[in-house]
Amino acid sequence: MNFQMLAVNYPYFIAVIVFAVGTLIVLTQPNLIKKVIGLNIMTNAVFLFFIAMGNIIGGEAPIIDPAAQDVVYINPLPSALILTGIVVGFSLTSLALALIVKLYALYGTINAPNFMKMR
Amino acid sequence: MLLWDKLPLMLILAGLIPAFTLPIVARWKRDFSAPYSIAISVALFSIASYLFIHALRNGPWHHYAGGWEPPWGIEIAIEPLSGLMIILITGLIVLISLYSYGSLRKEMNPEASGWFYVEFILCLTAMLGLVVTRDLFNTYVFIEVVGISAVALVVSKGERLALEAGLKYLILATLASGFLMFGIGFTYMITGHLNLAFAGKVMAENAARYPYLVWAAMSFFVVGFGIKSALFPLHLWLPDAHSSAPTPSSAVLSSLVVKVYIVALFKIFFLVFGSAFYQESSIRYLVLILASAAMIGGSLFAFVQLDLKRRLAYSTVAQVGYIYLGIGLGTPLAIVAAFLHLVVHALMKTCLFLCAGAIYYQTGRKRVNQLAGLGSKMPLTAAAMVVASFSMVGIPITGGFVSKFMLARGSIEAGYPLFIVLIVISGLLNAMYYFPILWQMFFVPPGGPVDERERELHASTHIQEQKPGVQWDQIPLSMKIPIAATALGIIALGVTGKFLYEYLYQIVLFYLV
Repeated sequence: MNFQMLAVNYPYFIAVIVFAVGTLIVLTQPNLIKKVIGLNIMTNAVFLFFIAMGNIIGGEAPIIDPAAQDVVYINPLPSALILTGIVVGFSLTSLALALIVKLYALYGTINAPNFMKMR
Repeated sequence: MLLWDKLPLMLILAGLIPAFTLPIVARWKRDFSAPYSIAISVALFSIASYLFIHALRNGPWHHYAGGWEPPWGIEIAIEPLSGLMIILITGLIVLISLYSYGSLRKEMNPEASGWFYVEFILCLTAMLGLVVTRDLFNTYVFIEVVGISAVALVVSKGERLALEAGLKYLILATLASGFLMFGIGFTYMITGHLNLAFAGKVMAENAARYPYLVWAAMSFFVVGFGIKSALFPLHLWLPDAHSSAPTPSSAVLSSLVVKVYIVALFKIFFLVFGSAFYQESSIRYLVLILASAAMIGGSLFAFVQLDLKRRLAYSTVAQVGYIYLGIGLGTPLAIVAAFLHLVVHALMKTCLFLCAGAIYYQTGRKRVNQLAGLGSKMPLTAAAMVVASFSMVGIPITGGFVSKFMLARGSIEAGYPLFIVLIVISGLLNAMYYFPILWQMFFVPPGGPVDERERELHASTHIQEQKPGVQWDQIPLSMKIPIAATALGIIALGVTGKFLYEYLYQIVLFYLV
C-alpha cells in the first residue's frame, strides 16, 4: 500500500472521521439541540471534503494573472459549490431550531425520549 | 420569441416566483390563496403538457441555462422520462390543490393556510426541477428544497405529533443529504464533471481504475436516496410524517415526493454509472434484498395499524419496495414495470389519502374499525376506495394489476422467478389489510361501536344521525372531483396500460443503451 499517498491525502480521512462523528452524535444523542449540532458537524465534514478535493498542493488562488505563465491554480468549482451548501445547511439548521422552539413550548423539554412519556 | 425558447426553464420559474408572492396574496385576502395556487398549478400543467407533446414529436428538448453549453452550464432536459414525470406531478398537484380548497379549512388553522400554499407550490416547483435537471449539484439543491418544503408541509398543521414527526423527518433528511453530497463529491472526484451525461462518459473510461471509489459513491447514493425515499429499514420517518400531516400534504408526500427521489436515483445510476456497470455491481443485490424486505415488512406493519392514514403510510413503504425491486432487477421489462408502478401508485395512493381525508371531513373518523356503514353514506368515496384498494391488491382491470404482472414478467426475464412468490405474498398481505376496510364500509351495518371518547372529541363536528337508505356524500364538489378523477385514472391505466407500457419501453431503451 502506498502510505505516502495516504499521508498526503490526510484531509479526506479527517473529513470521513468527522462525518462519522457527526452521524454518531445525530443518532445517539437524546438532546435535540445536540442532534442539530451533530448535523452541522456532519455537513461541515462534507464541506471540508469538497474543499480538500479542489485543492492542489502548491496551487494558487484562481485569479488568472496574464503575466505569470507556469502557475498552477486550484480548482475553484468545489469551493463555489460549498457556498451553496453552506446556505442550504444554514436554512436546514434554522428550520430545525424553529421546530425545536415550538416543541419546547409544548413539552417544556428538549430531550427526545421524554416526549414519548408525556404524550 | 425569447421566453418561448426558455420554456423548460420557465417550468421551474413559473412556480418559483408566484410561490414567493403568495404570502402577500394571503395577507391581502386569505381566501384568495387557494384559487391562486390552483391557477399556478393549472398554468404549470399546461406548460408541462406542451413540453411533453413537444418532446414526443420532436425528440428531447435540451435547454442550457444561461446559454452555457453542458460541461460548464446547467442542462435541463425534457426527455421521455422527465416528460412523463412532469405530467404526472403537475396533473396530480392540480387535483390535490383543488381538493385542498375544500378540505383544508376543516383540517388546519385558516391563518396558516396561506403559508401552507407557499410550501405546496415550492414543493411542486422543486419536484419539477429535480426531475428535469441533468446536473449533479443542481439535483442536490432541488433535493434540499423538496426536503425543506416537505417538512414544512408536514408541520403546517401545527399539532404536537406533526411537529415531532416533522423534526424527525428533517433530521433524517439532512442526514441523507449529507450522504448524497458525499456521493456527489466522489463522483466529481472520479469524473471531474457535474453534468450527468459528461460524468457518465468519463466514468465509463475511469470506472475500472478506481473500483472502490465507484462502489463507495454508489453506496452513498443508495443510502442517501434510500432514506429520502423510505426504502424499508430506512423508512422510520415516513409513517409518522405522512399520517400526521394534513390530508393534501399526505397525498403529495406519499404519491410524489417519495417518487421523485427514486427517479433521481435512477437517472444518476443509469446516466453516470451506466447500466453495464450497474448490472455487475453488487449494490444491486442489496437493493433487491431491501426491496423484498420492504414488500413483506411494510405490508406486515400496515396490517397492525388501526389509524387509517397510518395504515396507508405503511402501505407506501411496501409499494416503494415494488419500485425498487424493478430497478434492482435492472432488466428492461423490470424497469418498465417499476415506472408503471410508480405512476399507478402515485394515482392510487393519492386516491386513498383523499378518501381518508373525505371520511374525516364528513364523519370525523380516523380509525379503520369505525368505518361501518359508510358505503351507503358516502357512496362516491367508498367506490373510489374500492377501485384504489383493488388496484393495490392487483385485481385485473385496475392499473395495479398491469404493473404487478409486468413486474412478475420482469423477474422471470431477469432470471429470478422466486420474486413472483414475494409479489404474490405481498399482494395477499395487501388484501389482508385493505379488504377489512371495504368489508366494514359495505357489509357491517351502521351504528356500530363508535366509542364514547370519539363522540366527545368530535362533538363540535357533529357525527351525523344514522339515517337509513343511501345518501350522496356530503363533501364539497371540489373534493369530489379529485377523488373521482384519480379513481377513473386508475381504471384507465388498467384498461389502456399498453400505450403507457410502449411509451415507457422507449424510456428504458433511451437509458439502457
